[in-house]
This record gives sequence, C-alpha cells and structure tokens, in this order.
Amino acid sequence: MKLARFVLPAVLLVALTSLATAQQLRFTVWSGNEAHLSMLNGFADGFAEMRPGVSVQFDVIPFGDYVQKVTLQLAGGNPPDLGWLAEASAPTFIDAGVLADVSDALRNDPDYDFADFSEPALGLWERGDAVYGVPFSTSPFIVYFNRDLFEQAGLTPPDVLAEQGAWTWEALKESAAAIADGSDAFGFESVDGEGYGARVWHTLVPIVRGYGGEAWSDGACRLDSPEAVEAVQLYHDMVYEDASAVPPGEQGDFFTGRSGITITQLSRVSKLAEADFDWGLAPMPSGPAEDVAVIGQAAVVVFEAGQQTELATEFLAYMTNKENVAVMAEFFPPARRSVLDSEAFLSSNPMVTPQQMEIVASGIAGGRVLPNHPNFPQIDAAARPVFDELWNADADVAAVMTRVCDAIDAQLQ
Amino acid sequence: MDQVPSTPATPRPQKPPPRKGARSLRALDEIYGYLFVAPQLTGFLLFVIGPLVAVVIYSFQERNLLTGAVTNVGLQNYNDAFFTNPTFWKVLGNTFVFTAGLVPVNIALALALALLLNRRFPGVTLFRTLFFAPVVTSAVAWAIVWRFMLQGEQGTVNQVLALVGVDGPNWLRSPGWAMTAVIGTRVLKNVGLNMIIYLAALQAIPREYGEAASIDGAGRWQIFRRITLPLLAPTTLVVAVITVVGSLKVFDHILLMTGGGPANATMVLVYYIYQQAFEFFEIGYAATLSVILFVITLVLTAIQWLVNARRS
Amino acid sequence: MTTPARVPRWFTQAAWYLALIGLSIPFVFPFLWMVSSSFKNSTEMFAFPPTLIPETLRWRNFVQVFEYQPFAQQYFNSVYIAALVTIATILVSSMAGYAFARIRFRFSTLIFFLMLTALMMPIEVTIIPNFFFMRLLGLVNTHVPLIVLPVFGSSGVVATFLMRQYFLSLPTELEEAAMIDGMGRFGIFFKIALPLARPALGSVGILTFLYSWNSFLEPLVFVNDLNLFTLPLALNTFTDSYGLPLWHLQLAATTLSVIPILVVYVLAQRQVVESFAMSGMKG
Repeated sequence: MKLARFVLPAVLLVALTSLATAQQLRFTVWSGNEAHLSMLNGFADGFAEMRPGVSVQFDVIPFGDYVQKVTLQLAGGNPPDLGWLAEASAPTFIDAGVLADVSDALRNDPDYDFADFSEPALGLWERGDAVYGVPFSTSPFIVYFNRDLFEQAGLTPPDVLAEQGAWTWEALKESAAAIADGSDAFGFESVDGEGYGARVWHTLVPIVRGYGGEAWSDGACRLDSPEAVEAVQLYHDMVYEDASAVPPGEQGDFFTGRSGITITQLSRVSKLAEADFDWGLAPMPSGPAEDVAVIGQAAVVVFEAGQQTELATEFLAYMTNKENVAVMAEFFPPARRSVLDSEAFLSSNPMVTPQQMEIVASGIAGGRVLPNHPNFPQIDAAARPVFDELWNADADVAAVMTRVCDAIDAQLQ
Repeated sequence: MDQVPSTPATPRPQKPPPRKGARSLRALDEIYGYLFVAPQLTGFLLFVIGPLVAVVIYSFQERNLLTGAVTNVGLQNYNDAFFTNPTFWKVLGNTFVFTAGLVPVNIALALALALLLNRRFPGVTLFRTLFFAPVVTSAVAWAIVWRFMLQGEQGTVNQVLALVGVDGPNWLRSPGWAMTAVIGTRVLKNVGLNMIIYLAALQAIPREYGEAASIDGAGRWQIFRRITLPLLAPTTLVVAVITVVGSLKVFDHILLMTGGGPANATMVLVYYIYQQAFEFFEIGYAATLSVILFVITLVLTAIQWLVNARRS
Repeated sequence: MTTPARVPRWFTQAAWYLALIGLSIPFVFPFLWMVSSSFKNSTEMFAFPPTLIPETLRWRNFVQVFEYQPFAQQYFNSVYIAALVTIATILVSSMAGYAFARIRFRFSTLIFFLMLTALMMPIEVTIIPNFFFMRLLGLVNTHVPLIVLPVFGSSGVVATFLMRQYFLSLPTELEEAAMIDGMGRFGIFFKIALPLARPALGSVGILTFLYSWNSFLEPLVFVNDLNLFTLPLALNTFTDSYGLPLWHLQLAATTLSVIPILVVYVLAQRQVVESFAMSGMKG
C-alpha cells in the first residue's frame, strides 16, 4: 500500500520528464507512396538514435493542394517544422521570407561536405550566401519509349538513334507519326498526360529550349520569338496534323501501353512494374540549338515560423548527408556529385540498367530547371487560358504565343 | 380569435379573463424573444457579420496570406477590378451565363419531373428515388465521375453518342462546350431537390380544381397554365431564390470538373475569389471581389422579391 | 366526357415508362459506372470499348482504399461531424425560428432580415476572416470550426427560415390554451410547438446533414491532419505523388461513400418527401 503511494508520483515524474525531452518535428511531404514513406521513417529512426527522444512525423498532403495547405498552416499558427518544396514555389517562398537560412549549419559541418552539392542544382535555392533549401530530388526529364511498338513499326529505337547522334525532335515527330499510323496506339503522350493543363510548361519549354528559345529572361517574355514559335508549331503539328500526340482530353497512358513515347521523370519507372510490353529509356531529343536537359527539382526546407528551427536544421542536415542521399537515390536523383558519380547510384534502381542511369546522371549534371519566377502562380494563371487557345486545329501558333506574352508581361517585371 | 356566436339557447360558458397571465407573458416575451434567438444571433454576429465587416476592411488593403504583409490601398483594388483587370469582366460574364443557364433549366426540369411523377403508378417511388439520388451524393463524387465520362473520344458520353452516329465534342476542353457541360452536370445533381419541393406543392393542390376544369372542357395544357402554374407561384419563388443564390455559390463542382478552364471559360466569380485568396494569397483583392459578389447576390434577390410582390 | 381512345392504353403506358427511363439515365448511369469502375484496375478502366461489367472483380481496390489513408477514421469524422451539426442546428434554428414566428419582440423583423443576408454569403467570402479568428482561438486543425460555422452560417439561417415558415403555418389555439393555463414560453416551445414541428425538423435535418456531409472548402482550409479529414477531402486525396488521380482508388472510395447514403435515402424515401411536403417549404 505504501509503495503504491510512490508509484503514481513516480509515473508522473517519468511522464513529465519524457514530455520535456520528447520532441517532435513535423515534416510535410506530398508523397503517400509506401516505399517513400518507409524510407523517410527510416531516416527518422536513424535520427532518433543520434538524438534520443526526438521523433519526426511525416504529414502527407496531396500534391495538388500542397502549396495552399502549407501556406494555410504557416498563416494559421501551426506551422510545420520542415517540408518538401517544389521548384515552382521556391522563388515565391524565398521572397516571402518564410524559409529559414540553413547555410551556416551546413557550411560549418565538415562531415556534411556542402561543396559536394552540384552548383547548378543549388542555384534556385541560394540567394548570395544564404541557402534556403537543399534539393533532395533533381530529376531530369527523359524519354521513355515502348520498344514493342517501335519494332512493330520497323523503326530504330530512340536509344540507338541517340548513340548515332540522330535523336532529334524531328526524329521523335516522325517516329510518333509512324507508330500512330501503324497501330491503335498514340505516338506520343505529354508529361503525365497533363500536357494541356498543369504540365503545359513541361511539355513546351523543353522543345522551345531545344530550338534556342526560352520562356522568359531578364524580365521579358520570349515565348513570341521565332524559335519558340517554331518549337510550339512542331508539337501542334504532332497533335493536329500527324494525330500522333495524345490530344487534349484523351487518355493515352504510356504506362499501360497506349502510347509509343512519353517524356517524364525517372520516378515514374515504378509504374512499369506491371507493364506487359518491352520498354527503354533515352535522353531528351536534341534540337537545332541546344542539348540542355530540363530538370525538375524538389528540396527540403526549414520553415522560419517553426518553433524548433535549430533541431529542424539538424534533421535536414542529417537527411541530406552523403549516406542518406545515397539511400534516397533509389527514388530521387541526387544533387551530390559524390553520389552521382558512384557505381552504387548507377545500380540503385533495380528496374533501370546502369547505362540507362547514365542518361539520368548526365541530365542532372547539366540540366536547367523549368522557368521560375516569384510571381509564378499569377503567370501560370494568366498564361494557361491563353495556351488553351493553341489546342484546336486552326490555331495560329505565332499569334497565340504573342498573346501569351501580352498576358504575362506585367507579371514578369 | 374566431368569434363564437352565442345563441340564447346554449349560452357559451364564460372564460375567465386571461388578461393578467397574458399581459405578464407579453412583457416577458421581450426577454424570451431575445433569449430564443440569442444563440443564433450571437453566432451570426461572430461568424457572419464580423467576417463581413473584416472582408470590407480587407477590400481596401493589399494583404498577403503567405507573407502576412498588409498595406492600405484605398480604392485601388476596386479600380483594378472594374477598370484595369480584364479578367474580372470575363469572370463576371461567365457568372451570369452560368446562372442564366442553370436556373431556368433547373426549374423547368424540376417542374416537369414533378408533374410526371405526381401520380400513382407502379414504380413511381423508384423513379422519385432515382432522380433525387444525385442530391445526396457528394459534389466531389459527382464531379469525379462526370469528368471521367465527359472525356473526348473515349468518354462514355461520346461513345454513347457515337452509337447513334453523333460525333460528340471534346466537352471539357472546348471553351464553348465546357460551360454547357458544367451547367448540365450541375443541374442533374440538384434538380431532384427542386423536384421534391414541387411535388410537395403539387400534392397540396386539391384534385377537384383540375377535375372541375376538365369537366368544363379545359385541355391538360390549359389546366396547367391557368390553374396549376399560378397556384405554384409561391413555390416557384422559393425555388427560384434558392436556385439563383445557390448557383452564385457553385465552386467545388467547377473546380473539380474544369479547373476554371479551358481558357477561363468556366471561371465564375466565386472560383476567382478562391484563386485570388488560396492560389495567389492576395486576400485584399479577394475581399474586394467578395464584396462585389455579395452586392450582386443582394440585388438579384431583391429583384426577385420585387417582381413577385408586384405580380401578386 | 372521355375522348375516344385512338391509341391503345398499353402503348401510352409503355411510352411513359420509356420516357421516364430515358430521362433517368443521366441520373443513374454515373452510379452504375462508378460502381463498376471501382472494381477495375487502371488499364481496364481506360480500355476501349468500355465494359460495364468488369472482367475481374478487384476487391483489392477496396482494401487498398483503407490502406492508403485512414479512410475509416475519415468516414467516421464525416458522420459524427454531420450528426453534431444537424443536432446543433435543429436546436438553435428551431428556437430562433419559433421566436421569429411566435414571439413579439422589438426589432424581430429587422434581425430576421439581417440574418437573411447570411444566405447571400458564399462561404468563400467569410472563410478567411473566420480562419484568422479560429487561429486566434487556437482552433485551427480541429473539428470545431467544421461544426460551429455551418450552424451559424448560411446553412443555419436556411434552417431558421424553414422553421419560421412552419411555425407560422401552425394554428395557434394549442399555444393560446397553454398560455392560459399559465405555461411559460419554454414550456410551450418544448412541449407543444417542437413536437408539432416534426416534419419541418425532418427537412431541416436532411438539408443540414447533406450540407455538412458535402462541404469541401471548410475542411480544406481548417484541417491539416489526415486523421482529421472528412470524406470529400479524403476522396480528393487519392492522388499519386505527382498529383494525378489514382482512379481506381478514388472511384472505389467514392462508391463506399455514396452507397450507404443512398441506402439510407431509399429506406427513408417516403419520410423525406413527406417532410418536405408538410414542412411548408412550398411557400
């Protein structure tokens, strides 16, 4: 009986002290994929070994609402500590001052080896000496093709053409047309099938750059330049003349064998696990002007409004150290040169041969992100309705592109 | 209330004068009145009037949700909306097209269905259930399914049309048809509710009216126009007001079906407000648009009341 | 006087039925398609020509729905929130409606018309200030805003409006008799008026439940944790890491969310119509 009297206070004491030392970091992500989450939880466990009592909770927010919800959380007084952030939002969030500068912590830790990160990859996340995010995924856009459909149409597959230096946008257009003519399938599917909606930039900008154009530079819109118009015209012809590209509103899912070619990022390769056709990877087609790869990025950021920015920065550093970046490389192409150059990286994905991984590696090394701007949401909202005018058979591409520039000029200042 | 005539033969028992109890009750009524409405009134002031005042204040500011920055800009937002920003007028136009398209179709269809189902025949209950089923479904679910069915060549709708030789348009992707598709699917979702209301009203009309008229030689259509329709006027007013006000608020349906496109063809005012507030984080401008929407709704409702008052 | 029948009766009957069936197709077909697709995998869903009866029944889809996110919890959230909103609304609006209909107090008409302005207010207009207010109270990322806002917002005002209409249509003799007997207002309200108001309470309950069940923007703004999501939010969350819908999961989940409501409605169908009929909604 007497002992019992001590038990309750003792339990309370233990509970209180564990509450005091138990800290939780909240980390927002947009992937609900089981494999991704178990990897992330693995990092949390590893971190807990270094810092007992610290746990990390990963909150999954669907990609479509991600920016809104994170903003609402930041504005709503219960900010997350860390989160993923996509490249399109980087300028907006950095300009708004809501991201913490982690440069000191990262540069001062010799083990971390900040210099290991490829400069181009960091570009978007740095302002002068300050670093506002560490990219965990630097993923070039690459070509996926359906080997069976190519064989059926008697065409040389893109990877062979690339080796011969003959894999150009024209070649892609012709191959797509041949496949579409000779089979039930489409020739080409735009990025994730969303080329006329959310991914219109992903679809058009690579071609535009290949022809020597650009979306905008130095505060001026360049989508109405002759190079850009030529590039967009090529794609327009694919949709309306060749009928080889999946048109707006149609389904032509490459990953279920309904299209011959698609352009998207490495991570989609997991969708091919159940594919009943032979497939391959190839680099992006080259244009008359440039060969620069286009990359999509996502970074880990620490939110300034969080209550535990120091601890959060520690976790960020832990998550993006050499060891863990190598682990993430299975799903997310790394920005660390040491990992990119390693044998382990080239064989990190069981579905992709080392040769194919080379394509990814070279894309990361030289790739440029899609056009970005602090006002990107407004630019996107103003441009997309005008882009929509492209998608009918008698659209005057040059005129539409001029109107796109008219619509977004004000926002580019 | 009713005066009971007292006959000399059977004098009515005198009721004790209730005046004392009634007077004190009436005095207490002031208190009771407020007591009864207090919960709703308090909540109303806190969650409706308060925010409305706040929104009016915000409409004169530039206020960013992400950065938290606030600047007073006077009438600049209103100026932007009416004079500088062309999107505003397009959105306003879309809003009116949407309402003008949806309301008559909805009301007419609801009345037609109610008339069809206002009789007893085997299966009438089943049909009433079927037409009401979309009302109880979530808008998200309804939009998801229809967005899938309205796809270009492979969408179910176009495949059915293909069976009868019609080449269906790319519904959600052509600026002209997208608005039609959005209106049509929204009508399908909600018409069941108005149908039930009309059914209830029709059932309250005594059969004798119609029977008497047909004995006099009136045809069905005449009975409908001269008797049924006027008797339904109060119901039609209620239905019209509800439907108009409801149509000005439609947001998630459009968000999920077309995302406001193509080429902003289906962007209505409420969606535009959402976009400004939650995608651009411009709370000030969103507030300005909200004030404008509120005024529009008030005016439209007032017009409807006045038209009805004048008619009766 | 009957017109000589030139067309056989069975023909008109059949024509009626055909017309009704034809009309009901766009109302019903989406459900059939939704249920059938929820058993398919992605490939079959987009197969051409489309199949109404799936080749294989992939029950796995339904299991995956619960594995992908705490769907059962989210379902329960929608149910209990809608129930709470309905009960609270019935209480608050019946009291207010009764007062507006039966009690004479100063400014009652003014207050009533002022409240009607809430009907004109889409939730998108008031939600940001409400968001800031809830933040002040520390109630963001809880269910409290989802319960409180509908009760006092436009949904609650509609309810009050309906209750007032109904109470106005009740004969006053019973209440007068009770008054004479010395019963106070509360007594009259709870023992006489409210029990008589069952049809109106039915309509109000149904409309309010549906409003809460279907609301999308409020949970989107106020709720962050997956565990606290409601069904419309949850249905929208069945996307892959790139924001593309996982059709098979979305449709399976949609089926699960729609079928129970439909079943309840079918069983209670007569009461629903009667409620509306007797509630005075017809004007």
